[in-house]
Amino acid sequence: MMRINPVRKWLGVISLVAGMVLAWHVPARAALDKVVIGHSACLSGKYAKAGEQAFGGIQAAVNWVNESHGGVSIGGKKMPLEYKYYDAESKKESVTSLLERLITTDKVNALLAPYSSGLTLAGASVAEKYGIVYLDQGGASDKIFTQGFEYVVQTIGPGSKYHTGTLDLIKAIDPKATKVALAYEDSEFARSVMDGAKEHAQKLGFDIVFQRTYPTGVTDLTPLLSALKATKPDIVLGGGHFEDGQLFNRQMADLDIDAKALSLIAAATLPAFYEALGPLADGVMGPSHWEYGVTFSPVRANQAGLPWIGPSQDEFVSLFKAALGKDIVPDYHAAEAGAAVLALVMGIENADSVDSDKVRKALGDLTFMSFYGSWDVDETGKQIGHPMVNVQWQNGKRVIVAPAAAKTGDIQYPMPTFAEKTVKE
Amino acid sequence: MSPSRTRLVRYYALLPVLGAYLVLFLIGNGQPDMWQLVAMLAFYCALGQAFNLFLGMTGYVDFGYVAFAGVGTYGMAISISHLSAVEGIGGWAIVIGLLLGTTMATLLSLAVGAVALRLRGAYFAIATIGVNEGLRYFVEGARIWNGSDGIIFSRDLRLIFGREAATALSTFWADVLVLLIAALAGVVTLLFMRSKIGYALTALRADEDAAKVMGVNVTKYKIMAFITSAVFAGLLGATAWALKLTYVYPPDVFEIHYTVEAIVIVMLGGVGTLLGPLVGGLVYGLSKYWLAVTLPGFQLLIFAPLLLVIVVLFPEGLVGVLKKKIGNRPLGKFIV
Amino acid sequence: MLGEQLLGNLIQGLVLGCVYGAATMGLSLIFGVLRVVNVGHGAFIMVGAFTALLLFNVFGINPILAVPVALLIGLGLGFAVYYLVMQRLVQAPELASLLATFGVGLLLEETVKQVFGSEFRGYYWSVGQLDLGVTVLPMTKLYACVGSVLVAVLLYIWHRKTRAGRALRSVVEDAEGARVCGVNVNWVYAMSFAIGIGLTVLGGVLLTMFIPVGINPYMGGVYTLKAFVIAVLGGLASPYGAFFGGLVFGIIENGSYTLLATIEGVEPFALTRALSFIMLLVILLIRPTGLFKTK
Repeated sequence: MMRINPVRKWLGVISLVAGMVLAWHVPARAALDKVVIGHSACLSGKYAKAGEQAFGGIQAAVNWVNESHGGVSIGGKKMPLEYKYYDAESKKESVTSLLERLITTDKVNALLAPYSSGLTLAGASVAEKYGIVYLDQGGASDKIFTQGFEYVVQTIGPGSKYHTGTLDLIKAIDPKATKVALAYEDSEFARSVMDGAKEHAQKLGFDIVFQRTYPTGVTDLTPLLSALKATKPDIVLGGGHFEDGQLFNRQMADLDIDAKALSLIAAATLPAFYEALGPLADGVMGPSHWEYGVTFSPVRANQAGLPWIGPSQDEFVSLFKAALGKDIVPDYHAAEAGAAVLALVMGIENADSVDSDKVRKALGDLTFMSFYGSWDVDETGKQIGHPMVNVQWQNGKRVIVAPAAAKTGDIQYPMPTFAEKTVKE
Repeated sequence: MSPSRTRLVRYYALLPVLGAYLVLFLIGNGQPDMWQLVAMLAFYCALGQAFNLFLGMTGYVDFGYVAFAGVGTYGMAISISHLSAVEGIGGWAIVIGLLLGTTMATLLSLAVGAVALRLRGAYFAIATIGVNEGLRYFVEGARIWNGSDGIIFSRDLRLIFGREAATALSTFWADVLVLLIAALAGVVTLLFMRSKIGYALTALRADEDAAKVMGVNVTKYKIMAFITSAVFAGLLGATAWALKLTYVYPPDVFEIHYTVEAIVIVMLGGVGTLLGPLVGGLVYGLSKYWLAVTLPGFQLLIFAPLLLVIVVLFPEGLVGVLKKKIGNRPLGKFIV
Repeated sequence: MLGEQLLGNLIQGLVLGCVYGAATMGLSLIFGVLRVVNVGHGAFIMVGAFTALLLFNVFGINPILAVPVALLIGLGLGFAVYYLVMQRLVQAPELASLLATFGVGLLLEETVKQVFGSEFRGYYWSVGQLDLGVTVLPMTKLYACVGSVLVAVLLYIWHRKTRAGRALRSVVEDAEGARVCGVNVNWVYAMSFAIGIGLTVLGGVLLTMFIPVGINPYMGGVYTLKAFVIAVLGGLASPYGAFFGGLVFGIIENGSYTLLATIEGVEPFALTRALSFIMLLVILLIRPTGLFKTK
């Protein structure tokens, strides 16, 4: 084995440490000449995919604010919006230290929480301590808003509402459909969707014939789906995250389970879904916070009596692609993160200040519309103004089938059988 | 040198350890933007010291180590969420939480130890992985402690302590506790090293069968080290995860990644040394932080080959290398 | 009804188990010869999965043909990793090689992520189904199963009948003695490591024939954990013991679901996972050398 000169070894270590120390301190900022928004992002680790989307959405919104909006107006002046971010690696230990650095060293005026309810909660105490607005753009747990935090403001919708719209939709077009099967991932988020769906289904008079969960990171759903098949459900609702959503659809096809409707959360509305599943995905639905093709515009805002801010849908998409330097389509993680930034800008401009208490109050009073849809929070900071859309794959294209005000096409119901779909080959 | 003085000299090595933690505390407390960073470093150091209690002394790799921290977290979470309804419970909720967490960790370690400590080498490692994963799925599957819904108790913490104090608890006092745990783990490590346990386990590390033949009660000391190490993990979970973050979800605490981090930290510093985990924790935490700030998104790509290089070139860790250089000189008393 | 479901699950479990077993043989081989636990096991499975994905989506190459390609890639990777990293650590304490394989796995995951992104992908290859009454089996799963059995058989033949296999067995039995007899021990180590990795990467392709979706850089972790259980079941040091271990594992993982689902108020799926780990502990207590008497 090659022996490295010990002196060189130590010189290397010392220069590494020195470099780290030098990278430390950032010179202090004088008077207010820009608005800084800080983010402990999840650019690697288990939330990397959603984190990357959120990052792109935020950067796109920030660029729009600076280029098209002219900056943030405070006291008659327009100031540039700056985006500072560090990678929390999807780990809770890193979140608190990075958030504090953003607050104390980078002197940010507001914070964006990391993706996922757990990590949002992990950082909430730090935001509370420093009294800084903490924008929840990736944590859908209703419970975050029952804890008494004063600075958390949510843009993503709560989990319990994900599938309620789907049930309404089915009830309206097929009153005879009664049997619902619920099969969700056993995670805090998916369970909140399941509980919300169950409650709503029972209210609407549906019959829950199957209710089971599967563990995170499942690699084979066959046993659960075989049991589900035996109950012969009309509607199947379920899912959790990306990979299990794809697996769910695929294995329903493998086991030849046909239902009149299948709606999967998180996975089904993303382009990668169809790429992975091909024609098997046709007819499959999913609830989404935002889908390319929704018709939110300044005109709609006017009709609804809401102020409008932000880029148009197409502008957002191109800003997003430019921000990431890749030709990938933004999904709702990107849209909601971008919308959070827009909400903040409106809050600051309405409060005419960057003082966190004033901005927080302004955000509480605020309601507006953007490319993402309408936005309104209740007094705990929970998002109540944003409706979900239901999307369905039809011949390889995503069609928005509900709500009526946003739809781009009619629902295909019942969904084609897997036999029909594979014959298309 | 008088006998009492010789005995004291054996404990000189505590000075750099305790001194380092004191310095960390002072830096964190003094500078406005350093406390959370210090808290993170304290966590890694504590994790390393606690893990080293078993790994360093026996050479066994407990891959399911994080399970002890996990149950510790639940102990505190259960205590706080259930006691918030009790009037005027105040600080007792934390004390009870620590006790509950420690008890649960101890019970778990007894159960695991009974099974796993009969095994050696890779078999031990794999058995313990099984414990962590099995426990996680059992908690989720049998829906104990709320299953996958976890326990979120920020509100309960505020009910007990009031808003200001609760925030201070999560952002400062929890971390002070972590520093104390790290320091305590260091003290206990040295106490072990300098006592019968240390001698017995050194013999075990060298050659387990020979030690047994020589009449050393290998099993008893293995169990002592195992339980002690587990208790510290439980304390760490109760403070750094429960008290500080005010929530617990099973997949976030029964996460095997932490055991790997503990191994990396201990190896970086030097397995079986006293200062090793401290140095390892600092180096690991600081490099992670620095990379997260300067190269977000690319850290692990840099970190992975760096790890490989270190493992291959410095198998005895930084402190191990230092010991070799300075061991024989007077300063060597402090580097253990 | 229950009986039908149970039977259906058992059949599915058997088929899946073959694939699990084939994917784990590499782990056992490496441990058996080098006494190294490949903690990065899952990352290599991921490499196999990506190989199948890319060959199919980009070149339209059928996954069955992807198998030999994967084997070659795995062999190349294995040799590279051995000569660059593992060679120096053969005599080092277990901890060092553990960390080294972890580091290699991490590096693979991050590199794949940087090159291909963290998106979840899949491929769509449909060649019909087999309706067995109690359950339905797509042909792709059947191919995966047959392929796994074939691989296991080929490994057996290689291990028992060829000269290289004999050299390997001699090194496992007594490395010093083998060296004295003129066997190039280092070459045997390198070859075993390479073949072990090759088997693992190949296992990744077979796995995608079973589960062709959800492919992403971080998919490996789950498989590493399962592989440990399977390897122990089959006897940690025995490569084809791992195959049988996989069968048992698949059957229990799937079969137990139906039985556990009869218990009220629990989540049976998560419990099947807990069960497999409890099984692991029990085996380690009673029969650490595994359930099967193979050497």
